[in-house]
Amino acid sequence: MTGITVSGRRESHAKVALYATGFVLSVIVFAVPLLFALFRSFQPATVIQAAPSAATFLHLTWQNFAHLATEAHLGASIFNSALVAVVTALLTALLSTLAGYGFAKFRFRISNWLFALIVVTMMVPFQAILTPLYLQLNAMHLTNSRLGLILFYTTVNLPFGVFVMRNAFESIPAELEDSGFVDGAGTTRMLISVLRPLIVPGIATTALYAFLASWTEFLGALTFLTNAHLYTLPLALVNVQQGAYGQIDFGLLAAGAVVAMIPCIVLYVALQRFYVAGLASGAVKG
Amino acid sequence: MTAVTTHRERLVQTSSRPSSSARPQRGRRGSITHPRGTGIALVLPAVVFVAVFVLVPLLVAIYISLTDFPLIGSYRFIGLSNYISALTDPAFGHALLYTLIYTAIVTLPILVLGYVLAVLVRRRRKGSTLLRTLLFIPYVVGLTTLSFFLVLEAQPGSGAVNIVLRALHITDGQTAWLVSGPLATGLICVLVVWAVSGLTMVLLMSGMQGIPADVYESAAMDGATWWQAERRITIPMLRRTIVLSLIISVIGSFLAFNQFFILTAGGPGTATTTAVLHIYNKAFVQLQLGAASAESILLIIVTGLITAVQFWLLRERDTGAGTTEAQR
Repeated sequence: MTGITVSGRRESHAKVALYATGFVLSVIVFAVPLLFALFRSFQPATVIQAAPSAATFLHLTWQNFAHLATEAHLGASIFNSALVAVVTALLTALLSTLAGYGFAKFRFRISNWLFALIVVTMMVPFQAILTPLYLQLNAMHLTNSRLGLILFYTTVNLPFGVFVMRNAFESIPAELEDSGFVDGAGTTRMLISVLRPLIVPGIATTALYAFLASWTEFLGALTFLTNAHLYTLPLALVNVQQGAYGQIDFGLLAAGAVVAMIPCIVLYVALQRFYVAGLASGAVKG
Repeated sequence: MTAVTTHRERLVQTSSRPSSSARPQRGRRGSITHPRGTGIALVLPAVVFVAVFVLVPLLVAIYISLTDFPLIGSYRFIGLSNYISALTDPAFGHALLYTLIYTAIVTLPILVLGYVLAVLVRRRRKGSTLLRTLLFIPYVVGLTTLSFFLVLEAQPGSGAVNIVLRALHITDGQTAWLVSGPLATGLICVLVVWAVSGLTMVLLMSGMQGIPADVYESAAMDGATWWQAERRITIPMLRRTIVLSLIISVIGSFLAFNQFFILTAGGPGTATTTAVLHIYNKAFVQLQLGAASAESILLIIVTGLITAVQFWLLRERDTGAGTTEAQR
C-alpha cells in the first residue's frame, strides 16, 4: 500500500461516502422496523388498530406486558417455551459432547457408518417426516408432552451439534489426553477435568443453536401439541391472533412477539463469537 | 466391537518408557485406559435419538405411504395409489407450483442483497462490526416472530406498511394485504428477503475475507476497476460459498411454512398454500395420513434433487475453467 496516488485517494473518498450511505440505509431498513415493533408493544391495542393520530400515537403504557403476565395462557406459554428451549439446549450439548468425543478420539468398527448416519439425517428435512413422526410420538405417548417436544428438538439439533463437537475434540492434541491417562484419569474425569476447558466454546455453540432453534419453533409444536396448557409462546400467539382467548388483542400480540424476540437478540449479541464459530463449521460441512 | 486401539497403542509406547516402571499396576487394573466399548457407548445415545426420531419415521413414512392409513380405524395396503393420486391431485400440484414460484421469486433477491451487504461490511471500517451484528438480527429473531409483527403492520388503515405507502403517495393506505393472494405473496416475499439475506451476507462475507488481499492489489496495479475485480476475482473464488448459500436458501424457501400459516393460513382459499402447508392440512386437518406421507416422500425427493442439482452444477464448473488454483 505504498504511494497512494491522488486518483486513488479520491476513489477512497468516494468509497467512504458510499459506505456511509450504505450504513445509513442499512440502519433505516434493518433497525427501524425492529425498533418500531418494540415501540408498538407499548401502545394500547386501540392505538395499534386505529389510523395513527398525533394525539394518541406517543401515548405509551406497560399495560400490554401487564396483561401478558396476568393472561394465564400466555404466562404459561412463555414458561413452556423457556423450559423446552433450555432443556433442549442442555440435552443437545450433553449428547453432542459425548458423541463428538466418541467420533473424534475413538476408532471402532462401525464408527464411520454411524457418523455418516448422523450427517445424512441433517439432509432429511423434519418438515417432510412430520406425519410419521407424529404417529411415532403418539405411539410412545409423547404427543401433548413437553418431554416429547424436547426429545424432538434435541434430535433436530443433534447432527449439527455432533459435527461441531467432533471438530472441537479433533483439534485437541493427543499429548494432552496422554498426560491425562498417565495421571490416571478415566473417561469421565478426562472429559470433565482435562478436556473441558478446550471444548467449552464448542459446547456453547451447540447449546446456543439448540436454544435459538427451539425457543420459537413453530411447525413441530403446532403438530405435536393440542393441549392449550402445554402451548409454547408462538402457539399461544396464534391463539391471540385468532381471538381464542376472547377478543383479538393486538397489544397482547405485539408484547408477546417482543417477549419472543428479546432473548434471541440478547443471546446472539452476547454470544456472537460462538454463533459465528458455528456458522463457520457448518459452512465447511460439504 | 474392538475399541480404542489408538489409545492403547499410544499407551503401550508411553508405558514402555522408563516412567512406566513407576506405576506398573495401573495398566493391569485397566483404569489408565478407556474400557473396551467406550467409543461406541459414547456415540450410542446420539445414534439412538437419530434412529428413533428420524430413521424409523422415514421408513414408517415409506410404509404408510403405500397404505390408505387413516388416524383411526384399520388400513390396508394399496400400492402406489397414494403417489398416483398425489401426482394427479390438482391441489398438491398447485401447492408445489406455488412453492416453486415463491422460491424462484425470493432466491435471487436474497443472494443479491446478501452479496451487497457482504461487500458493505467485509472490510473493517468505522461501525462495520455493529452493522454486521445488526444485519444478522432479523435472521436470529426468526420468521415466526417477525410474522406476528407483520400481522399488525399489514392492517389496512393502521399498519405501518400501509401508513408508509400512503405517506409516499403510493397507495391510499387501505390495502388489505393478507386477503389477496398476489398481495400477500408479495408482502411475504419482501419479509423473507429482508429477514434471511443476513445469513447469506455472513456466509459470503466469511468467504470474501478468505481471499488474500494481494490478489486484489495486483489486480488494482493492472488497472482493474472495482467491478472487474469483483467479477473476475471475488465471484469465481466464492463459487463454493455462493452455491452453499443458494442451497440453504432454496431448501429453506421450498420448505416454507411458518410465515404462510401465520399471515394467510394458506388463503384466500388455497392461493398461498405451500407444499408443507398442504401436507400439514392433509395429514392433520383432513386426517389422510397415507396420502400425506406419500406427498412427504415426494417432497423429500424434490429437496434431495434440488441439493443434488446444485452440487452437480458446482462440480461441473469446478472441472471446467481454470479459476480454481487460488482457492484456499
